[in-house]
Amino acid sequence: MNRVLTLFQRWPFAFALLLALVLLVLNLIVSPSFLSPARLPGTLATLAPFVLVGFASTPSILAGGIDISVGPLATFINCLFVAILIPAGLGDWHLAAPIILAVAAGAGAVNGILVAVVRLHPVVATTGMLFLLVGLSLSIAQNPVAAPDNWTEVFAGGVGIVPGALLTVGVAGLIWFALRRTAFVSNLLATGDSDVSAYGSGVNIKSIRILAYTLGGLFAGIAGIALTALVQSSQSSLASTYALLGLAAAVLGGTSLAGGRGGLLGALFGAVAIYLLQQLLTASGVAPSLIQFAYGAVLVTGVVLGATLLAPRMKRNPS
Amino acid sequence: MTSDSLSPAQAPHAPTIKQIAWTRFRTWVFEVPALQVLVVLVLAGWLVATMPAMANPRSITSILVITSLLALAAMGQTLVVILGGLDLAAPGYILFGAFMAANVAGKLAVPAVVALLITALVCGGIGAVIGWVCHRFAVQPLVVTLGAGAAITGGTLFLADGDYSSAPPNGLRSLASLRAATFGLPFPPIILIVLLCGVGMWIFLNRTTAGRRFRATGINFRAARFTRIRTSTVWTVVFAASGALAGIAGVFIASFGSGWSQTIGEPYLFSGLAAVLVGGTIFGSIRGSYTRTLLGALILTLLSTIIVSNGLTEAQSRIVFGVIILAVVSLYGRERHVRDRF
Repeated sequence: MNRVLTLFQRWPFAFALLLALVLLVLNLIVSPSFLSPARLPGTLATLAPFVLVGFASTPSILAGGIDISVGPLATFINCLFVAILIPAGLGDWHLAAPIILAVAAGAGAVNGILVAVVRLHPVVATTGMLFLLVGLSLSIAQNPVAAPDNWTEVFAGGVGIVPGALLTVGVAGLIWFALRRTAFVSNLLATGDSDVSAYGSGVNIKSIRILAYTLGGLFAGIAGIALTALVQSSQSSLASTYALLGLAAAVLGGTSLAGGRGGLLGALFGAVAIYLLQQLLTASGVAPSLIQFAYGAVLVTGVVLGATLLAPRMKRNPS
Repeated sequence: MTSDSLSPAQAPHAPTIKQIAWTRFRTWVFEVPALQVLVVLVLAGWLVATMPAMANPRSITSILVITSLLALAAMGQTLVVILGGLDLAAPGYILFGAFMAANVAGKLAVPAVVALLITALVCGGIGAVIGWVCHRFAVQPLVVTLGAGAAITGGTLFLADGDYSSAPPNGLRSLASLRAATFGLPFPPIILIVLLCGVGMWIFLNRTTAGRRFRATGINFRAARFTRIRTSTVWTVVFAASGALAGIAGVFIASFGSGWSQTIGEPYLFSGLAAVLVGGTIFGSIRGSYTRTLLGALILTLLSTIIVSNGLTEAQSRIVFGVIILAVVSLYGRERHVRDRF
């Protein structure tokens, strides 16, 4: 028993992974065709924006802050692409993709500057950004605009036998994998764990923070592309849904909100676990309201478990 | 000590009267919400100047009622923010309150007082559990309230069973509807209720021991524990109060709108937080107070009235809200530099 606990404590995402595996088995029992090759690309495409928003929430949390504007940023990118770039004739992938990613990373960078340079509380800065982005999405496209045929459809279908969703998630994963080879990620974790110590050790915490939020913005941009691939229209109303789901995915995946502990793998398994839970309950014919109830209950249980039983070094509150 | 013989005799650097006055003025501006009052006056003046038609009792009442609802919804959030947390469960509480008002008090004809009591007890109870859990296990309230909010929303919608057509009873509606009167005066009682809450909250925060303990816990959790404040109790009570107040706000919001929908609580989460922040209450700050939230709610309502009456859309008012939050908080909500926190 102790060895299992140590395993959980060593790998923050182990709990989410276990939960996801159990839910996967249950899903396969309820609907055996769940993983059939015909359904797989569609399933992954539904999952992709969700995983990516989870990714987008992660770097800022690791840096000891929080970014609640990544979900609205993803929907803003979706509206920007469908309602402005395509009608303006900038819909080709070689034009649109750089613009989208630059805008998204720019919005993230603004968050980073507000937090690191202007020194606003992260929740305050990103709440302001959230209002800005929701307002902008609504003024671009109040009502859903249907998108004509465009390059994003690839990411909802597949390239040959590779499901397209693997590409969007894969690109984000590769960026993170590449960054792990550099000093950035270790400096990021050091900043999140204790910014004072990191500063004292000569880490440039200002630029680390700005980069963390920029990276989150970039992932949110990719999430916007995956979202467009899935819905093929502009959906400004999804902003508030995604705002908090990404956070939930990251935290369920064992990323500590205090900063300095966790990673993208956790957000991936967290998002998969929440998605599989919804799938399982939908497939077994449970009312949507109870699905929401179950989601909330799993989130609270997961977080409390993660903070007590599964926390490293037993940092429990003695009082 | 180095000799001063080479340098001309230094006059002791006494601050001039001007500097003292400036320092005092700056302290005063930070101590009282002077900026917010000024902004309210400017906005009100602007509204009346550009739209003279707004200066009639009817329009003023409607602005005040909307402000009161926002302020009521943001009351619990104010307390939680002073404590240094964030309550994302507010939409759930508000939805539950609206459900109690419309379906239980309205359709099942349960007396309004009983419905209010049940709302306060259920939401308060859930809030108390959240507060205790967050304190006991040192979990961030952000995620726990997020999960709890989803669970409450789901549970309420399950209880409602698809019935969103009921309306609150007349007794409740007369508390918040625009045509209602208070003791014969032509304004709805909700305005008076919120004003009384404001006074009560001011007394609690500034004139009671419990208020002092609460503030101490918010400013420095560990220091508060060392002065033998029972921080666990403080957290439990504050989150319980936040839940109960948001639930009661939900009852009034449903009474004002004469009905409810699945998403009735959503707008109040971020707008409520905006009212708290624009008022100048920052996480775990010493200057936080409910008076500021009242002013913040008034600023936001006036702003959106101006924006909408100038032919702009609701969407553009969101953009302005975002800019205002960032501007106000960067004026005096900035955190200390790392080098000053060694």
